[in-house]
Amino acid sequence: MIGSAACNVARIPGLFWAALLGCVLAFGSTAGLAQADKPELRTADEEFSKQLSELKRTFADLSKKFEDSAQTIDRLNSAEAARKEIEELREYVGRLLAAVADNGMVWSLGTKALRRADEKLKALETETRYKEEDRQFLIGRWRELKAATEDAIKELEGARKEFAELLRKLQTNEDFIDELLQIQEHQRAIEVIHGLTDGIRDASDKLKKLLTAIKTPGA
Amino acid sequence: MRAPAGIALALALAGCNLDNSVGYIEIKALPSSAALALYLDSVRLDPPRNGNALLRQKVGLSKLQTDGEGGYLALLCTIDVKKNRITSVTVSTASRQPRCQCGRTGGTDAGGNRTCVG
Repeated sequence: MIGSAACNVARIPGLFWAALLGCVLAFGSTAGLAQADKPELRTADEEFSKQLSELKRTFADLSKKFEDSAQTIDRLNSAEAARKEIEELREYVGRLLAAVADNGMVWSLGTKALRRADEKLKALETETRYKEEDRQFLIGRWRELKAATEDAIKELEGARKEFAELLRKLQTNEDFIDELLQIQEHQRAIEVIHGLTDGIRDASDKLKKLLTAIKTPGA
Repeated sequence: MRAPAGIALALALAGCNLDNSVGYIEIKALPSSAALALYLDSVRLDPPRNGNALLRQKVGLSKLQTDGEGGYLALLCTIDVKKNRITSVTVSTASRQPRCQCGRTGGTDAGGNRTCVG
């Protein structure tokens, strides 16, 4: 039986194995990503702070990309090229939204960090092992950490609203440009495209403001 | 030999879904204080903060559901999630029966089968 199975296996074309290997590798990489989502070594609040710092770096990069994109769109005279640029912009905004979505990594870590702070505070209220002043010190520090986490979450909530609006604006404009192109209104399409640059620059400014507004808890 | 190899390759590639594209769903509860259990493809959602939720979702059709009679889930609407696009849905509980209001609807809706598109 085993021999016959091995024989059948040997008959399967090499290309199949190559494709299967590709699948396994792709699955491995996504499984790795999923694993990276789970903080194992760090506590929720530490992980949240780490992810927040990384998100701020992304904000800085994307703010620059938005500025460059606004400049490119300003100079564009082809509606097709502009559509490509908008599509790319949607990808960038999508990356921001992915991080701050309710089921996104940063958001989940933020709510976990808040839960942990609440649990710690509750536990410390009834803690009897430490001297009163030591206990009060710990309570004070956890309260600060909780307040900082709440502030960061509030900023992220604001960012989420802005990014969602920007994405909606980009897709609506893209659809409108499509409609204009269908009726050969190229000039009007280019006007719509150029009109987008203010919104994109505004997004870049908002990202810069967010960079200074979001404080990393515990930092 | 070439044809079976090609078929095998096609089958293997079809078997592994490499498309990890995602889009976004924005759910607004109306009124914002409404306590309504919502499920996206059978996954129960956390109650929206301030009546607003934004979710990352795999590209394709997703079902927005709520608790129905007899422990079953009742379909509110279908949401067509497109790559890097946002689909807005307002869930209104103003009437006795919760309803989906789409930011934009699909052109082929029939009867109660409402599809929101991004």
